[in-house]
Amino acid sequence: MASDKIIKSRFFFEDEVEEKLAEVPTEEPDSWQADEKLAKVGKPYSRIDGYDKVSGTARYAFDMHLPNMAQAKTLRCPLAHARIKGIDTRKAEKLSGVLAVLTHRNTPEIKWYGTSFLFDTHLRYEGDEVACVIAETESIAEQAIKLINVDYEELDHVVDAKEAMQDSAPKLYDSGNIRNGEPGTYSRGEVEKGFAQADTVIEDTYRTQIAIHNPTEVHCSVVNWDGDRLTVWDSTQGIFRVRDGVANSLNIPLNSVRVIKKYMGGGFGSKLEAGKYTVMAALAAKQIGRPVRITLDRKEMNLAVGNRPDSVQTLKGGVKKDGTLTALFHHSYGAIGAHPSNAQCSWPLKSMYKCDNVKVEEYSVYINAGRARPFRAPGHVQGFFALESLLDDLAEKINMDPLEFRLKNYADKDQVYNIPYTSKVLREAYQKGADAIGWQNRSEKPGSGRGPVKRGIGMSSQIWWGGGGPPAYATLKLNRDGTLRVIAGTQDIGTGTYTFMAQVAAEALELPMEKVEVILGDTAVAPYCGASGGSTTAPSVSPAVRNAAENMKAKLISGAAAHLEVPESQLTYQKGMVNHKTNTDKSIAIDQLVREMGEQVMVSIGKRGANPEGYMINTFGAQFADVQVDTETGKIRVNKIVAAHDIGRVLNVKTLENQMHGGVIQGLSFALMEERVIDRYTGKVVTFNMHDYKMPTIMDMPDIEMFIVSGGDPKISSTGVKGVGEPAMIPTPAAIANAVYNAIGVRIKQLPMTPDKVLNALYR
Amino acid sequence: MKSFSYHQPKDIREASNLLGDNWQDALLNAGGTDLLGLIKHDIEKPDHLVNLKAVKDLDKVRYQEGKGLSIGALVKLNDLAAMDIVQNKYTVLAEALQETASPQLRNMGTIGGNLCQRPRCWYFRGDFDCLRKGGELCFAADGENKYHCISGGGPCFIVHPSDPAVALLALDASVTIAGKDREYTVPLHDFFVLPEDDVMRENILQPHEIVTRIHVPDLPSNTRSGYIKFKERDVWDFAVVSVAAVLRMGSERIEGGTMAFGGVAPKPWMEKTINDALNRMEVTDTNLDSLAQIAFTDALPLAQNGYKIPLVRNLIKRVIRTLNA
Ligand SMILES: Cc1cc2nc3c(=O)[nH]c(=O)nc-3n(C[C@H](O)[C@H](O)[C@H](O)COP(=O)(O)OP(=O)(O)OC[C@H]3O[C@@H](n4cnc5c(N)ncnc54)[C@H](O)[C@@H]3O)c2cc1C
Ligand code: SF4
Repeated sequence: MASDKIIKSRFFFEDEVEEKLAEVPTEEPDSWQADEKLAKVGKPYSRIDGYDKVSGTARYAFDMHLPNMAQAKTLRCPLAHARIKGIDTRKAEKLSGVLAVLTHRNTPEIKWYGTSFLFDTHLRYEGDEVACVIAETESIAEQAIKLINVDYEELDHVVDAKEAMQDSAPKLYDSGNIRNGEPGTYSRGEVEKGFAQADTVIEDTYRTQIAIHNPTEVHCSVVNWDGDRLTVWDSTQGIFRVRDGVANSLNIPLNSVRVIKKYMGGGFGSKLEAGKYTVMAALAAKQIGRPVRITLDRKEMNLAVGNRPDSVQTLKGGVKKDGTLTALFHHSYGAIGAHPSNAQCSWPLKSMYKCDNVKVEEYSVYINAGRARPFRAPGHVQGFFALESLLDDLAEKINMDPLEFRLKNYADKDQVYNIPYTSKVLREAYQKGADAIGWQNRSEKPGSGRGPVKRGIGMSSQIWWGGGGPPAYATLKLNRDGTLRVIAGTQDIGTGTYTFMAQVAAEALELPMEKVEVILGDTAVAPYCGASGGSTTAPSVSPAVRNAAENMKAKLISGAAAHLEVPESQLTYQKGMVNHKTNTDKSIAIDQLVREMGEQVMVSIGKRGANPEGYMINTFGAQFADVQVDTETGKIRVNKIVAAHDIGRVLNVKTLENQMHGGVIQGLSFALMEERVIDRYTGKVVTFNMHDYKMPTIMDMPDIEMFIVSGGDPKISSTGVKGVGEPAMIPTPAAIANAVYNAIGVRIKQLPMTPDKVLNALYR
Repeated sequence: MKSFSYHQPKDIREASNLLGDNWQDALLNAGGTDLLGLIKHDIEKPDHLVNLKAVKDLDKVRYQEGKGLSIGALVKLNDLAAMDIVQNKYTVLAEALQETASPQLRNMGTIGGNLCQRPRCWYFRGDFDCLRKGGELCFAADGENKYHCISGGGPCFIVHPSDPAVALLALDASVTIAGKDREYTVPLHDFFVLPEDDVMRENILQPHEIVTRIHVPDLPSNTRSGYIKFKERDVWDFAVVSVAAVLRMGSERIEGGTMAFGGVAPKPWMEKTINDALNRMEVTDTNLDSLAQIAFTDALPLAQNGYKIPLVRNLIKRVIRTLNA
């Protein structure tokens, strides 16, 4: 059996490199080859948890009801910037049914965000946590919150990144509002020289809005102490992160915290860390000696659990007449809210196209608003909107077809690290997408359509990481009846993880799907896997499952050899049987073998192998949009999106399609509707409900056609899988924006492209 | 949410008595689709809730030739929209009803409640103590006002949220109001009030008064009517701008007609110049352009809502073209 070693593993998690020690196998089974036809992997199995969800038997964290459970609600700061001068909770405490009120005065000083505390007296945004009330019912808790009397000293606020960068702006921190005091920078080649070589140079400024994750399921925890052990049912994308965060905050051993998450109604990046609410509930539960449930309402969701930072991006691009990009420059700033986060969005410009001279300068700026968090392809969605708008304008200037222009600047190796990709199948994506959208019928003269409703076609490329990496482990347990249990410390955040894990195990051990059960989302029983973000779950975890299955196979052969008293080399594994190669009498079914071995279960462990040295792992794709713009009303309708992507091997084409549709819809929504609006004078959010924070309905949906152009990427892992969650959304807004330009001949340089912006552009 | 006591009167008089004479003491509940949200979010804080449900005869619709349509205040939006007479004769109303809210809300919401719903200004609905809630300031005037009014505003700049009201105004409807000691009928035109007259209320109702019926006059047989609602998403959205047109069509020209507008003013809006210009107007591109040009010339857009002017002008042309087709 394969031996193991420890390595320092580095890979992109969201838009930052994560570094971790990981145990990896020194030998792995041969990877499934790119064109290998598999029996179960890739097939459109329905979700194995689908029935539970549809029938309502699935219990989300929100649905957990423990005997004697109390309810908690949070008092949040109603002002954009304030200091607590005094706080009087007596009235609230006296209200019948109130069990406890937590504030900065009666709780330990627990560090948060590195810049603040669980309960800080310096409140930096509308929504900052002031107190937590625990009561017999939610409605009592809500009433009690209103009885808390807080004496706020109102401070000057700033809610716009540009204003916040001025010296005269109110400061959130003594060190100033620019995070780290300086921009993030990057450069390669000599950008000035590059511009000098260009025949055409364009500079323009593009803006994107702040968007809120707004998953269907609100943030919520149920906590229960059993002695000094704490169990947390949480709606989270990272059970181990929650465990670590909660244990650190409470200063208790990791062993004492168990985090469980079975089902989830979406996170999109807003649930990648331990929430203050979980720690508040845990403190309260300890104090009152009862389980506590804490939930956020939709307004809290829109204020306090993350957002996609906005961006003001000034891009400059130089191009020769023959279409060669000679230089690219990116300057941007974006608001990260009141606590450390990241508003950078230059990765697309740095990495998508071949260009020798690149320079980047980008600022992350504190403002008095809720803190930004990773949001489905952080930086990339914003960055591609700007980059691809600029590229289309450059192509038009030199009279070149936009697609041809992109092919002309196709990058054959990674541009930042100057190393080869493990695989890149983007040309095929361009081809498939162009054919399906009818690129050849695209009008070359923008805005030339007749009548008030004008049609246009546009496209955008996509790059993202999504290769995942170790550490990720899975345990397999074979029962004496031949059923198999897969256990891993990842979590299914609604993406279909349960189902593809069963498929991979069933594939490797040639078992029917019904024989496989999958346990995820429980830190007490499952081996470690990373958080579900960065499109890393499937590429990290699926090889661990496959490797565990292959190890199990080896064990079964070894067991059968001992039992049948034949050499291992004479035996092969097939469909739940260990067979002798020549002697048909010498074969044994695995359930019988497990019984013979006298064990209830057989256990094997699988580990995600190391990524190959000296390669970049990226996903690629292209999306094409067909839109119509009503020039009398300014309304944009997206008729169709064609999404053609290279994502390595497909694990389940059905859940893949779900991811694609979800990504495209979220992209469309970002392009056309969603926007967090803040009132400048009060610094308070006005779009705090799902009516004013607009998301599309089924009526606004386009046709979506999907092509996967990749087979599998055997260089990466034993399964050859890359991620898809984020790639699906990245190019959609840019493709729509380019299609809108093609339709009306006027470029909308600011998202969302709402009717007022279109009308203002047309009726200037 | 503040606690309240709940009442279910059997008739209008009893309901009116329960409502009493003081603002905010008691509020009527019809379908509750707007009211419950208002109470939950502490925008309305009544001590008493008076449910109209058990009051008889308010859920009936009658049509008499020559006299027109009489609609009880408790008639559900979807029920009204489904009636043949409404679809065939009062097309503008049917279309406005179909464009209202969502199917679920139309199944619960009543026509009386729809006319009396509170505005959707996001400051009003939020944690802002603005003029309309008795505060000192209109936050929208210099704030986030992309959805606010371009006409009839000041000192508050809401738009009236109802779609059916716009259609009913174009249809020259009137409402019957019952109070403690009298019942009277007013043209819909006089039912709504502008902020300059009363910044805290959208209509003339006194605390004890209840809308009982809505009357729509019969229409000449050469009438064609229609409603265009422009919204940012295709369903479940209030009007950015809407246009209702009721036109008497001659063989060569429009004999006359009325247009009413939503999303532009604190009440369903009419412009006399437009209605005058419709008189004997021939539908040509040039005439439509001139009609659009005289529309909303008095409008005073705020910083972020100037786009509503080209929008409403384009919709005026579009609705007439559609009805003339
Ligand atoms: C998400 C959402 C979207 C919506 N979209 C639209 C839309 O696009 N277009 C549109 O027109 N409307 C829209 N609405 C409003 C909806 O149509 C109204 O809520 C509904 O018509 C109100 O009817 P109701 O019977 O539920 O009224 P209630 O909620 O019961 O009452 C509303 C108000 O009217 C008062 N009232 C009720 N009946 C009477 C009466 N007979 N006499 C005097 N006062 C009375 C109540 O006291 C209360 O103040 C939307 C509402 C929601 C929640
Ligand atoms: S427009 Fe009216 S409702 Fe809105 S903030 Fe101003 S006063 Fe209040």
